[in-house]
Amino acid sequence: MINLASRDILHGWGKFVFTGVGLGLLIGVTLSMAGIYRGLVDDGRVLLQNGGADLWVVQRDTLGPYAEPSNVRDDAYRSLLGVRGVAAAGNVTYLSMQIQHQGGDVRAMLVGYEPGKPGEPDYLVAGRPITRSHYEAIADVRTGFRLNERIRIRRHEYTVVGLTRRMVSSGGDPMVFVPLQDAQEVQFLKDNDALVNERARTAANPAFNRPAVPGLLEAVQASQASSRTVNVVMLRLAPHADEAVVARDIRRWKHLEAYTRADMDEILVAKLIATSARQIFMFLVILAVVSAAIVAFIIYTMTLNKVREIAVLKLIGARNRTIAAMILQQALGLGAIGFIVGKTAATLWAPIFPKYVLLLPEDTLRGAALVLVICALASIVAIRAALRVDPAAAIGG
Amino acid sequence: MAHPAIEISGLTKRYGEGDTAVDALKGVDMIVQPGEVVGLIGPSGSGKSTLLKCLGAVIEPTAGRMTLAGETIYDNGWKVADLRAMRRDRIGFVFQAPYLIPFLDVVDNVALLPMLAGVPNGKARDRAREMLAALDVGHRAQAQVSQLSGGEQQRVAIARALVNQPPIILADEPTAPLDSERALTVIRILNEMAQRFGTAIIVVTHDEKIIPTFRRIYHIRDGRTVEEAGEARAA
Repeated sequence: MINLASRDILHGWGKFVFTGVGLGLLIGVTLSMAGIYRGLVDDGRVLLQNGGADLWVVQRDTLGPYAEPSNVRDDAYRSLLGVRGVAAAGNVTYLSMQIQHQGGDVRAMLVGYEPGKPGEPDYLVAGRPITRSHYEAIADVRTGFRLNERIRIRRHEYTVVGLTRRMVSSGGDPMVFVPLQDAQEVQFLKDNDALVNERARTAANPAFNRPAVPGLLEAVQASQASSRTVNVVMLRLAPHADEAVVARDIRRWKHLEAYTRADMDEILVAKLIATSARQIFMFLVILAVVSAAIVAFIIYTMTLNKVREIAVLKLIGARNRTIAAMILQQALGLGAIGFIVGKTAATLWAPIFPKYVLLLPEDTLRGAALVLVICALASIVAIRAALRVDPAAAIGG
Repeated sequence: MAHPAIEISGLTKRYGEGDTAVDALKGVDMIVQPGEVVGLIGPSGSGKSTLLKCLGAVIEPTAGRMTLAGETIYDNGWKVADLRAMRRDRIGFVFQAPYLIPFLDVVDNVALLPMLAGVPNGKARDRAREMLAALDVGHRAQAQVSQLSGGEQQRVAIARALVNQPPIILADEPTAPLDSERALTVIRILNEMAQRFGTAIIVVTHDEKIIPTFRRIYHIRDGRTVEEAGEARAA
């Protein structure tokens, strides 16, 4: 028996292919939405992985540096190094900000870290690590900064000495790494005018400016002009150390919160990007419904255009299943063309997206199966219409 | 003695019920012998198409009896379990327009019927080519339907009706879209095929130019048939 569906497709291949391309672009958008969700999750996991930390120590009753504001004294790392099982500790600060670049703004997350300690970027794609205490920076390639380029962050200029990749915040902003002290200054210090005003205000306060206590005013003003705070202390554990035990000890004795990698993963994936994930899921559902409606409409229209041929086929003895198979195969064919176009389009336009789009092979397979199921379901309406065609319609009168 | 190809007696068909019921056929009688081509004529609404649909087993009569080649297919109820298979194997259809399948080429349009009956594709195509050659369109076997003239398309439609060598062919105004010359050619072909394959052919027509070519004609008026011989018409 010849395949009626393939013959019909070949006969009107132009119309079929153009319809498939249209559907494919819709499927491409659907795959991209799934890829954006995967990208969000992956960005979060890369963020955790790249710091090289096993534990994140943050202000008590907060969810850590990526989800909530957290302030920890920058000397806390010394006592944390004394906890059994801790091999290394590094202070890290985070600040989302706009950095001026080539006449425009780049949204970035400024990360202050101590070279050689946890929190340092894992690898560079160009340049070298930071070796000086001030005014050097490592930037993610998504910032658009070039090696040896000088960038201005608040009051100082920094030289980009290294470039890294896939280092973005949970919000997708590319990271710029600078020495910890520079980052603390950017994050916590006020501008000159504010400092002058603050000093005058403090000097006018009789509680801080006591003639009987020489040096008090200078000490208070000095504390206002310096920062001793960081957002997180990242810990690297010794081999065979139990991270749960170390975290428990820190919570008990240091009055700080300690999160393991699994805890941070939970915070990032289940809490921080949960709303975005639900939003994307809603888009996926809507796009799937729209795709199904479009396929159903196209297949139904194609079937209605063949009512006379279907009547003739039924009159000359074609089985209902032969006609149903023809329509089902056409719907699946349309879905297959659409999926190939959609996958190709999604792969081609993924790098253009400002956020990372991760197209996983298993998502591709799931997408293909879903498209075929949707097409099969969408063909039901057309099949029912075809099976209702009366073979007598082929005979006049 | 050979059975008639078609034998109908007291066939009635009622549409609707109660006050709105319409009797399209009111006791039709008809006999057609193998190899015979008969005309079925009558004004619009006289019941021609209804009779053709009953004969083609696409609508069920209300009462009466129909036999095909000696086998009773309807006797106040269908006597055949699989009407679809019966249509495929025992009835050929030629329509007012050729109604060929546009996405199949000529040979596959004809070969489709034996394929539907389970004949392997190669054998079905061989049979289709033979039938196309018999109808002088063998050279267009690989052409697309849209590349054929109207007359060629109607020949292909006849080849499709004949390819399974059914005992009867029902032709519904097969010459309507054709000019006189082509219309007469189609009737000549139908006569030749009837003789060659022993097929009984009923031709429903309004076409005045082909009516004289029939040896026997059934007039259908108000749901009843009246037989008229060709000789009587000539007289």
